[in-house]
Amino acid sequence: MSDETDFKGVSMIEAEATAEMLLMTGTFRSPQTIEEPIEQTIVRAVLEGERDRFGRLYEMYAPLVHGVLLARVPRDEVDDLVQDIFLHALRKLHTLRNPMAFGPWIAMIARNRAMDFHRASRDMVEVEENTAVAKPANRTAHEVLDFIRQLPDTYRETLVLRFVEGMTGPEIAVRTGLTPASVRVNLHRGMKLLREKMGVSAA
Amino acid sequence: MIMNMNDNYLWDRTGEPDAEVQQLEDLLGSLRYQPRTLQIPPTMSVRRRRAFIPLAIAAAIALLMIGAGLWVRFANSNRRPVLQAERGPDPTAPARTLPPSNDQPTSSTTPEPRENFSAPRKANRGVMAPKSRRPIQPAEPVLTAEELAQKEQVIVALRLVSVKLNLAQRKAQGLPQINSIRNHKIG
Repeated sequence: MSDETDFKGVSMIEAEATAEMLLMTGTFRSPQTIEEPIEQTIVRAVLEGERDRFGRLYEMYAPLVHGVLLARVPRDEVDDLVQDIFLHALRKLHTLRNPMAFGPWIAMIARNRAMDFHRASRDMVEVEENTAVAKPANRTAHEVLDFIRQLPDTYRETLVLRFVEGMTGPEIAVRTGLTPASVRVNLHRGMKLLREKMGVSAA
Repeated sequence: MIMNMNDNYLWDRTGEPDAEVQQLEDLLGSLRYQPRTLQIPPTMSVRRRRAFIPLAIAAAIALLMIGAGLWVRFANSNRRPVLQAERGPDPTAPARTLPPSNDQPTSSTTPEPRENFSAPRKANRGVMAPKSRRPIQPAEPVLTAEELAQKEQVIVALRLVSVKLNLAQRKAQGLPQINSIRNHKIG
């Protein structure tokens, strides 16, 4: 569309390029010292009028928002909601007091948007719960995701970010604002509940 | 027990890989986010952060401090003349020939000429005590010897007139005259 803007051609500063390379290669081990100043720089630049820089935040945090939504709303709604959430975040970016907390902030927006979605249509997830019970042990990805969605909120979001989006525990902690200990507990207890649920369902 | 053995792999993919975790990663990895470009409408505007709020707070604090300073200064400047006015006139001050007036200068130890009263405008304004305070009693007029003699003459004349009027009134009413000089021997 002619009236839409593409952010692919945005030039990056050297620090952003370095952080992105570290993220993509999986060698990212100290996010507090590298990623936080980048977020602050980008948020400040966007608020000062460089709207194109917001595309970098979108690339960095779209997997997080996608995972948060995938744990709560139907799969075919997730992609559109991701776009809507980032546009909403761009409009409300001036209300973000701490630019380094962009990840927890947009994750909260995504959770609230998922709740609004379920208020509007209450017959989306519960229907899929019964369809996965009688399946054999050789399950598909969608069936396993449905099992994860039956877990409590804290566990299913962490498991989706870990298994679907491929984030490690420390990355989940940094991006969601949770403590590493909380994420670790959520992973372990969620994994235990998932095993129990899949085993009971398969039996 | 299996969870404890493969704890690190579930946490950060280090240590011995857990087959079940790896299977979940492979299975659910197919649902991973597929990068898309963010389509932002060109008409959408980004509101800038309100940088004037801290400035407004700082300006308000500065104005309050300036106002408090001015208030303290004016309060102190008004307090000194009021205290002098409450003392009242100095009894040891020499007699003055000027009539009583509210425009009396606060310093009564040395009489000042009348033409100087209009000059110290600030001092006159300070003499006026607030209404809530005790009113200042005007000083008794101080007369000279000549003025006292004239005053005595006027009083004697008024007494004579009063006596004559009293006699005339009794005569007109037919009342017996009071012989005010009966005890005096005439001639």
